[in-house]
Amino acid sequence: MSHLTLEQLLQLREPGLEPGVFSLRAHLAQCAQCQMEASRLDQRSARLRALPALRPARDHWSALEQQFKVERRRRWLRRVSLIGLAAAAGFALMLAIRSANHLPGPSKQLAIDEAMARSRQLEQLIQSYNPDARVTDGRTVRVAGELEDRIALVDEELEAANRLDPRGRDAQVLGLWRQRVGLLNALVDVHMTRASAVGY
Amino acid sequence: MQGLGIFQSAMTDTYVLADAPALLARARAGDLTAFEQVYRAYEVPVYNLARRICRTVEDAEDVLQETFFEVCRSIHQYRGDGSLWGWVRTIAASKALMRLRRNKYRDADEFEEELHRAPRSDSGLRMDLEAALERLPETSRAVVWLHDVEGYTHEEIAGMMGKTVSFSKSQLARAHTRLRRWLGEEPAA
Repeated sequence: MSHLTLEQLLQLREPGLEPGVFSLRAHLAQCAQCQMEASRLDQRSARLRALPALRPARDHWSALEQQFKVERRRRWLRRVSLIGLAAAAGFALMLAIRSANHLPGPSKQLAIDEAMARSRQLEQLIQSYNPDARVTDGRTVRVAGELEDRIALVDEELEAANRLDPRGRDAQVLGLWRQRVGLLNALVDVHMTRASAVGY
Repeated sequence: MQGLGIFQSAMTDTYVLADAPALLARARAGDLTAFEQVYRAYEVPVYNLARRICRTVEDAEDVLQETFFEVCRSIHQYRGDGSLWGWVRTIAASKALMRLRRNKYRDADEFEEELHRAPRSDSGLRMDLEAALERLPETSRAVVWLHDVEGYTHEEIAGMMGKTVSFSKSQLARAHTRLRRWLGEEPAA
């Protein structure tokens, strides 16, 4: 057998048992020249590890600290804007519930139809934006998730309300549809704010 | 180094930060003095790794800053499964390799560079290890450094470089072949 190549010597240093390793080891065990080559290889690696550490010529901490502060400020502004959106959505819901109780019967049905149409428009807008296919930060995901959970609760309440006696049902249904529109508006704002922040 | 509460283990070549859990807790809470301690502890090994892989001082300095900025942004993602230095080092290695790719240090460039740098007439040349390492093509140098010095496996290097394990192995062999020649360590015919 001829002497081991550098590739084979390197192969012998790797963990695991690849095919052919046994015959390579057997050769190495009885070949002084290959043992010397293996030793040189090990020494070369050891000398690489022993090279002195290269150090930066200047201190970079102050520049980094500035970057950190700018980043922190940017995050804080985004957090405040998202919290503001969620609060505005809550306030809009409260107004929607109150106003629904003061409308006459036919107007209520008309208002319900309007709210349902608006709700569909907003859902289509969110679908066309396709938030699931976009990269989103954790805070946006959390706020959007909370809004979606609340929409799901409203949907459950709507389902229950539709089973009620028609005489007292409309005011409640209208209030719920308006809640739904308010929540969807907030959800659109959350996605669009995030999109403008990352330049979509 | 010791004043910062850090020591380097000669056996494992890893940097261990004293009282790391408390420091991390402060860093996660946004304490910039804690980040500064992390920076001071790992500044030199991160820069050294970057400088060994990147072509220029400027690139290495950029990698240093990008690495610690990423550490600051992602500190909540570090779960403490491995050593903090291991986590920081992987970020630094990825940033340095990204810089290589960005600067288009490709095999084609290396081939051309090799033609200029290592003509056949240098067979009798003997240089020191530092100069020989500096002379290696970027990819080979990155692989030999990550494998032989930083201790990454071929699988890990291939993953970071977006290449195959065979590519990493062949680059390591190429690097050692050149180093052996340039250091005057070729076996007698």
